[in-house]
Amino acid sequence: MLTIGKLAAIAHVSPDALRYYEREKLIAPTAKSDGGYRLYDEGAVRRIRFIKQAQNCGFTLSEIGELLTLRSRSSACCGDVRKRAIEKKLQLESKIRAMKAMSKALDGLVAECTEESHPIDDCPILSALDRANGIR
Amino acid sequence: MKIELIYTEGCEKCAAARHELRAAAATAVHDLVWREINVLDEVDYAVQLGVIALPSIAIDGQLVFASLPSGLQLQQEMARREKDILRDRCVSPK
Repeated sequence: MLTIGKLAAIAHVSPDALRYYEREKLIAPTAKSDGGYRLYDEGAVRRIRFIKQAQNCGFTLSEIGELLTLRSRSSACCGDVRKRAIEKKLQLESKIRAMKAMSKALDGLVAECTEESHPIDDCPILSALDRANGIR
Repeated sequence: MKIELIYTEGCEKCAAARHELRAAAATAVHDLVWREINVLDEVDYAVQLGVIALPSIAIDGQLVFASLPSGLQLQQEMARREKDILRDRCVSPK
């Protein structure tokens, strides 16, 4: 059995992160020591690696909880997980699209400012932002 | 009226529902254009529509259902839109 410190070291996360995962019901100690300390089995290492990998793919902790539930449900199939992965991809693509639009808007603002020595009251970028708010 | 059903392959339950929805839609309007889109074939278009859950349904290029409706719900939505189109035509005849 592993203490929280040992588990954290093996899985490369902090003990605080493990406690947070526990509050989010993603992991749970297998037992408690006589002194009341959390104890985990080897399966916890695999579970934490799963959580971290899923986070790297953009899944929220709540969504990761759903994936873990699916993994343990005998009636679930790979298609259920694939659907969630595709939906996550759509969300990410949507965010990328929104961020590209923001970047393009910034290009326009930067292009308005060709003289960096303008006093702040004449700053074309601030004026452009004011115009966007309807202030002339 | 153009109905686009954006789906992902592998869901047998969805495949059966798609068939039923298409039949329901065909009875709702005369000018039905039915398109089934495998989302992985048209990711950019799905993102443009605002699809983030599957399956979803768009009507005339507008995302309307973020999950599969019943046949009746789809027919009611189509009828409502058909009515709006006819009213707009009456207000501004070409």
